[in-house]
Parts: sequence; C-alpha cells; structure tokens
Amino acid sequence: MIGRLWAIALNTFREASRNRVLYGIAVVAFLMMMMAIVLGEMSLHEEARVARDVGISGVSLFGALTAIVLGVTLLYGEIQQRTIHSIVSKPLHRFEFVLGKYLGMAMMLTVMVAIFTLSMAILFQAQEVSFTSALIKAVVLAYVEVLVVAAVAVFFSSFSSPYLSGIFTLGVFVLGRSTEAMREAMSGKLSGPLSAGLHSGLAIVPDLHLFSISGSQVNGHLVTVHSDFVSWGYVAMASGYGALYIGAMLLLAIIIFSRRDFV
Amino acid sequence: MTAVIEVKGLVKDYRTRFLLRPTRAVHDISFTVEAGQVFGLIGPNGAGKTTTIRVLMGLIRATAGEVRLFGQRAPSRKSRARIGFLPESPYFYDYLTAAELCDLAGRLCGVDRATRRKRTEELLDLVGLDRARNTRLKKYSKGMLQRAGIAQALIHDPDLVVLDEPMSGLDPIGRKEVRDIIGSLGERGKTVFFSSHILSDVETICDHVTIVAAGRVRGAGAIHELVDTTTRGYDVSLALPDDFSDESIARLEAAAAGSRRIEGELRLRLDPEGDVDALLALANELDARVRAVEPRHETLEDLFLEATRAGREESEKLEEARP
Repeated sequence: MIGRLWAIALNTFREASRNRVLYGIAVVAFLMMMMAIVLGEMSLHEEARVARDVGISGVSLFGALTAIVLGVTLLYGEIQQRTIHSIVSKPLHRFEFVLGKYLGMAMMLTVMVAIFTLSMAILFQAQEVSFTSALIKAVVLAYVEVLVVAAVAVFFSSFSSPYLSGIFTLGVFVLGRSTEAMREAMSGKLSGPLSAGLHSGLAIVPDLHLFSISGSQVNGHLVTVHSDFVSWGYVAMASGYGALYIGAMLLLAIIIFSRRDFV
Repeated sequence: MTAVIEVKGLVKDYRTRFLLRPTRAVHDISFTVEAGQVFGLIGPNGAGKTTTIRVLMGLIRATAGEVRLFGQRAPSRKSRARIGFLPESPYFYDYLTAAELCDLAGRLCGVDRATRRKRTEELLDLVGLDRARNTRLKKYSKGMLQRAGIAQALIHDPDLVVLDEPMSGLDPIGRKEVRDIIGSLGERGKTVFFSSHILSDVETICDHVTIVAAGRVRGAGAIHELVDTTTRGYDVSLALPDDFSDESIARLEAAAAGSRRIEGELRLRLDPEGDVDALLALANELDARVRAVEPRHETLEDLFLEATRAGREESEKLEEARP
C-alpha cells in the first residue's frame, strides 16, 4: 500500500509543480514581503512589528490560497481529464488514490510554505528582525492551517466543480477564521433554535482561529508574536486538532469518492 | 475451459441531472469470455460497449446484474491485479514520458524496480516507441498515445488484457500495428477482450464476438458459428472489350438480378437461384472475359447492420411508448 500511495503522491507533486499559478502566487508573496520594508519605513519606528505582522500574515494567507488552488484542481482535474481511468483501474483502493493525492499536495504545500518562510526571513534580515521561537511557532501553526484548508478543498472537490469547491473552501476559510468573533457576537444576543443552529454550524466549521492566535487571549493572557506567544504545548494541541479535522475531511472525501462513477 | 469474464444480466442507468429520470445505457447484457480467447465486443456508437467495460474495470457501478472476473465479483482489486486496461481515447499525464508512464503503472501494480525497467524497455520496443521513450506524451500523436497506453497496460504481464476501442482514430499502419500486438498477445495465451466497431479488424483477430446494440446483446459466439455460410448468391465480374456493344451489355444485365458498370468492367449480381453457368456461357458467347465469380455469404458486417437496425427500431418504439 505504501508503494502505491507514494507513487500517487510523487506524481501529484510533479503535476502540482507544473502549475504556473503557484509560481505567480510565490512571486506575489515575495513582493508583498518586500512591500513590508516600505510600510516599515512609513511607520513610526515600528519596522520590526510591521515585518513580523506582514511576514506571518503572508505565510498564512498565501499558504491558504495555494491550498485552495491545489485542493480544488488536482482531484477534480483527474476526473475531468479522464486520467483517473487508467489509474483507478489499476489494483489500488480508491482511498489510496485520495490519500496519495493529498499527500502529494501536502508535499507541494510544504515547499510553498518553505518558500514563503524564506521570503519572510529575507524581509527580517533586511529589517534586522531576529527569528524568535514565537515566529517559528506561528509558522508551524500557519502550516497546519494550510494543511487543514487543503483537506477541506479536497473534500469539496470530491463532489463539486473547481469553481464551486473554490467558493466553498474560501467560505469555510473566512468562517473558520471568524469563529471566535462570531461566538462573541452571538453570546447573549440569540437564543432558542437559531442560536443552537448557529452554534452547531460553527462546530462543523474548522476553528482556524486556533492557528492565527496572535493578538488574542489564551487562558486570560494576551498572546502575540511580538512578545509573549503561545507555548509548544498549545502548538501541539492545535496541530492535534488540525490532524483530526484533516482526517475527518479526508474520510468524508474517501466515502464520496469511493461511491462515484467515473464516466 | 475457465471463465475469465462472466457478465450476467448487466444493467446500467445513468442519472444526468439529480431530478431527471435516469437513462438506461445497458439493458441486459450477458456473455462469458473463456481463458485464452481473443474476444470482441462489437456494436455501433452508443451501444453500451464502453459502459460494460467501465463496469468490468470498476470505474462505474452496475445498477443490476453480476460481473465476475477470474471468478471474483467485480469490482475487485485482486482481480484487477491480473488485468491490463487501455481506456477509450486514453488520456494520460502529458508531462510524463512513455517510460515514466510505464514506470508509474508498474509501481501501482506492485512491480519491482528491476522488472519495471526491463519490462518498460521490452514493451516500448514491442509497441514501436523505443525511439520516443523519453519524449513527453503531450508531443505524441493519437496513434503513439494509443501504443503508449498498450505498453502501460502490459507492464505487469497481465493474464487478461481489456482494450476499449484500441483501433479508434488510428491510420491503417497504426491499426495494423495494434492488430499485430493483439494477435501476438493471443499467441502467447493471453485472454484479450476488446471493443470495436471496425469489423475488418474484428474478423481478422477475434475468435469470439458479442454483438451489442441499444444496450442489448444481439448475437454471440464464435465468428464461424454466427455467420451463416449458406451461399446467398454470386458476384460475377466481367472485363469488357472496347468495342462491346450496349445491346450485349443489356443482354448480360437481363440475365442478372443487379449490375454495375465501372470503366471497362461489368459487375453482375445473381440471386441464390440464379443460373451462373448460363450467365458464363452468355459472357463467353459475347466475348466478355470472366474476371471473377464469387459466392456471396453473410458477413459480420451484415450481422452488425442487422443488429444496429434492430436496436434502432427498439429504441424508437421505447421512445414512442414513453409518456
């Protein structure tokens, strides 16, 4: 099974690496990081703060964008271009195909997040900002978030077109990032079935706020990448949550994919 | 003999839109392919050939009926390990070369690295792609893609080879090459199951056929059993001298059931009860040279056309009966 998974993953990585949109995203991400130097100059001696904020946001947002682009195109593309016919007719389980595709995507996303992080490091070097452990934790959290978004995109892609999957995944990303704010907004103002429905909805959406935690309260303390940030224990807990969510999304994608007819 | 493929009462419905009534692509198809046969599934476009093959390969699920491969109920991963498959109008990853495609197929079939390399060399040589082995598939012609598809299907030395329209879109040379490959597989004892509507190819390489039209089996068996060998008349071809008169031509035409003139040649068609000897005597008397006398038998094409007609009529009846 490992050999087949690896074969699909490597092929997916190869296919993804030929996607020119990713090169465009990498260039725009690099330019945005360099823009932070200009923004820093415009701030009042807050160059380091601007560099850290722009750098981490860049890794996170461009990572999520890459995850959506890859997630919604790679799986669906196989069906649309009928390349899947010569693959699923081989002696492999359909779940191996879905997992292999995700693994290949995760490999490409790792490379992309590494490129964004390198751009951020160049920015820090230019602004003489040190790469603290808080920043490393923030990058790890952003990376896990990107993997979660990719799994959501794969799930939608297992039954809808790239266009719809893209919209759905983007919607989940925006909602997932706003779960904390929405819970706060709803508390005490709504009651009855509407409140229960909205809370259930929020429970289904991934809590992506866990991964972009800088500037929020954790256990009554303000955490920020500029000074006191979360512990490695928190990073492990958030990563565990991310892994469970990825598992659930891929399981649903596998169930749907296994029942599909490839005409 | 051992049954390699058993299809019993296969039915497949497609639902194009969620609320629309499903369309029945395959109504009731049954056939058995024995080990070592070169078996052709023939029928016009839309007959249900590709749907049947997709059910066999686990790409789609049957609505009803039973499909067994090597005795195991399909879809079965275990039985797929013994099958090599070439899809209709094959689409492959165009960034791969033919060698890389074979390597990927080999990995998915669990073939070890050394064997993959050896088999890739042999197969690309067999299908005539040895010179283009490192060219990306996006630069391949349709015929080359078809041959690359056959190579990847054979990488794990399967016992059964399933080819969906392997000759479709190929030029005569390409068709001959694919025919030869299928022939060589048959000679090596492999079971070959393929769909086609190119009847001359089917007649050349198949020993058994199943004719399908409008989703139903219209005939099945060994070609020599299916085709009625009773003489259905004669075709006589005469070479006419330059000074051959219209009156003589009219006399010859009157002695036949049908005729056709082609530059210095007269082709006459006789019914089974027509008198060939009398016609030849008349030709001799009029100084026309006899080029050929051929008895006419039923052909696979006749069966095919009959099946297609029956299928079309049935579809029209169903359409009319629909509320």
